[in-house]
Amino acid sequence: MRGKTLLIRLAALAVCVAVAATMMVIGRGHTLYFDNKTIENYQGNEYKAFERVVVTIDGEEVAKLGKRERGMATWIGQSFKMTLEITEKKGDEPRIEEISMDLPYSVDGIVINLPAYLAGLPEDAWFSEFVPMVEEEPGEDEPLPGEGDEFGLEGDLGMEGDLGA
Amino acid sequence: MSKSEQLRQTRFGQLVDAFGLPRLIITGFLIFLFIMAPITGSDLPTQITNVINRFSWNAVLVLAMVPMIHSGCGLNFGVPLGVLAGLLGGTLAIEMGFTGPMSFVMAIVVSTPFAILFGGGYGALLNKIKGGEMMVATYVGFSSVSFMCIMWLLIPYKNPSIVMAYTGVGLRNMFALDSFYAGVLSKFLEIDLNPLGINLVIPVGSLLFFALLAFLMWAFLHTKTGTAMTAVGSNPTFAKASGINVDKIRLLSVVLSTWLGAVGILVYQQGFGFVQLYTAPLNMAMPAVAAILIGGASVNKASVANVIIGTFLFQGLVTMTPTVITALIHTDVSEVIRIIVSNGMVIYALTRKTEGAK
Amino acid sequence: MKMKKNFNGFDFLQNNLVPLMFIIICAICIPLSGFSTSYLLNEVVTRMGRNIFLILSLLIPIMAGMGLNFGMTLGAMAGQVALIFVTDWQIWGIPGVVLAMILSVPLSALLGLMCGKLMNMAKGREMILGYMMNYFVTGLYQLLVLYFMGSIIPIKHASIRLPRGFGIRTTVNLTNMRQCLDNEFAILYKGVKIPVLNFIIIALLCLFIVWFRRTKLGQDMRAVGQDMEVAQAAGINVDRTRIISIIISTVFAGFGQIIYLQNIGNFPTYTAHSQIGMFCIAALLVGGASVERASIGNVFLGVILFHTMFIVAPRAGVAITGDAMIGEYFRVFVSYGVITLALIMYEIKKRRARSHGGELLARAQREGGVQS
Repeated sequence: MRGKTLLIRLAALAVCVAVAATMMVIGRGHTLYFDNKTIENYQGNEYKAFERVVVTIDGEEVAKLGKRERGMATWIGQSFKMTLEITEKKGDEPRIEEISMDLPYSVDGIVINLPAYLAGLPEDAWFSEFVPMVEEEPGEDEPLPGEGDEFGLEGDLGMEGDLGA
Repeated sequence: MSKSEQLRQTRFGQLVDAFGLPRLIITGFLIFLFIMAPITGSDLPTQITNVINRFSWNAVLVLAMVPMIHSGCGLNFGVPLGVLAGLLGGTLAIEMGFTGPMSFVMAIVVSTPFAILFGGGYGALLNKIKGGEMMVATYVGFSSVSFMCIMWLLIPYKNPSIVMAYTGVGLRNMFALDSFYAGVLSKFLEIDLNPLGINLVIPVGSLLFFALLAFLMWAFLHTKTGTAMTAVGSNPTFAKASGINVDKIRLLSVVLSTWLGAVGILVYQQGFGFVQLYTAPLNMAMPAVAAILIGGASVNKASVANVIIGTFLFQGLVTMTPTVITALIHTDVSEVIRIIVSNGMVIYALTRKTEGAK
Repeated sequence: MKMKKNFNGFDFLQNNLVPLMFIIICAICIPLSGFSTSYLLNEVVTRMGRNIFLILSLLIPIMAGMGLNFGMTLGAMAGQVALIFVTDWQIWGIPGVVLAMILSVPLSALLGLMCGKLMNMAKGREMILGYMMNYFVTGLYQLLVLYFMGSIIPIKHASIRLPRGFGIRTTVNLTNMRQCLDNEFAILYKGVKIPVLNFIIIALLCLFIVWFRRTKLGQDMRAVGQDMEVAQAAGINVDRTRIISIIISTVFAGFGQIIYLQNIGNFPTYTAHSQIGMFCIAALLVGGASVERASIGNVFLGVILFHTMFIVAPRAGVAITGDAMIGEYFRVFVSYGVITLALIMYEIKKRRARSHGGELLARAQREGGVQS
């Protein structure tokens, strides 16, 4: 009987850990940035920006990019899929491409250069990491506990009566 | 100097008597702070001045805990009620046009009927709910303070130095007492060693005022009524059997506590120099409760010595930690230490087994 | 062991006084506030979706006779710690919520265990102890979040750290998690958004509570709630049962806080939990619950009435007095007042029952019968 209880408990624990691990994988969020920019010199070749690219993710149009423009989208998980509607040169009929790729787990912001990617270049040509600047708002460190004196309900911590000294 | 000697002796006696671990840690920590203060470069006399000053502001409020603990009503989380009476007294005295020391006397005089009224009602209520006083007291404090928040806006105060600047309706959140009773006690007979080059200022007047109240309390506890109160607190069944009117004694203790709360806040204000209204009274209960517990009191036992030791230890902790600890580790953890220590103390006291508290 | 119902009128009044009062307050305030029906309905439904789970977490300790669990805040803090980690690891959406819930369990179970043990050391003073635990654990929480996170515990993203390098910023943004539960399967009906998934989760918890009452453990808990000594004599491990009830409550409170905060979309790191206990308890009591008896129905009624009052009071206050602050203070006063009233009634009733029991015992002894 005791062995059985222990077994059930261990199993429950294992399930929890498994679910947590799964969530960590499938819930990892990424911010994707799409660049429609000309790569001037990659191993001697030039890859021209498209006239117009429409990025559609999950049936939702997230960006319509002209030359030298950047679009942004969010994606949860690692296996990323999108549909591109590409107009290569002015007056061309747009072609549609389905693209799926694996995103690196550890990168938050991923910049994809579309012309380079579609030309089938290796990863280092089209992939780069986007590191957002942390905005340092002045006075951010103002209302830490014990310093803030918000009016209303906040004051009843009972320990905040220290305005003097 | 002989006074601090005396203080030390009682403290050691107390430690031997009730060798509570948390208390020992706090005392040790405070001694550590006093030793570290000069090492970290803060001026010891200034620190001592601060500790004594804050002691003089808060001691009366801590004293307000004593009667209710004695009569078995537990820790007075309802002290905001007394504070409200004091605030009413203070603001009304100013409204009536009193200034200077007279306003302090009048504030006490005016707050007394309120304290008796509030304390009477509160005491009658607590008599109906013996055994559950503390939780109810907490919420009586909360609801009366939030009720008075409405009242501070509605009572037609007129004095331009205390009503809101723009609208002229409702009292200000906080106002200075400079032309009223700021420093009436602390400036009285003040010893100031600054001319001698030592940054030591002792507010003798405030200390004397507290000493007077503490002596009266001590004397009261030794009168017939006072001993009856102790009996009610330590063994209500026995007290009832020996013909003591338990309810009446408890009521008296609550009124006394409330009145001391009212006087306590006025003393605090004269030291601090400002009156804080609205939700501010809620902040007065916890430091007072924590202080008396640190001083060695339990849920149903407290003495005047506990008040003195506890206030000194707690205020010492509160005053010294920011400067000393910040200098040591370059991070201000004083707020967190204060929260953990004071609330940990209350939890420690609540989990102790108490005899006849029910 | 049947409880005699001697004070029927008194009981009826006691059980319904507060809800009746609230219905009257709401009936007066709603027209004065001038809100449209669909706005009001939408607000109330949203608040139901985000608050009911938290309030349900209060039910089990009441069943075990431990009163209103003011210590539910501990669970809320555990939930917040979990949310900070999940935000830092950039786990988004529903997986983020699920992960936060799982992460919160060990912490809230530990805090619940601590709280339960201390409550067993302070029998008869559980409520005030739980109340004090809030503040004590708030200190520990601040120590962890303000000083340890980023210095001892790794926090990757500078965007949630304080500029000084350690400690968490005063606001944690849950942008990528915002309303992910609310929006899943949501139904928009005449301008009222119904967060269906939230209600499904709430329904599951209600089913759990109903089921739990019938289990052996649930029965034990009720026995302990009725009379600890009798339960002990019947071979129930009273202390263990009480600890379990507090642990369950704390864990659910942690889940509840996560659901609550994903709806709001960000939270003030150091104050988000401080009022949650007070509001939940007030809402439960407004629904007609008392310190020793509360049902799922009380929770639903309480949320509706309490939050209607909360929404309309400031505007109604302006309409009556011309001052917005009065309405604000009024709703705070009412919340505190309701809790005070409930506590007083509970204590009076308890005392009356005790003296009544004493009389019965005395009579039984006089008659020489051996009754129990």
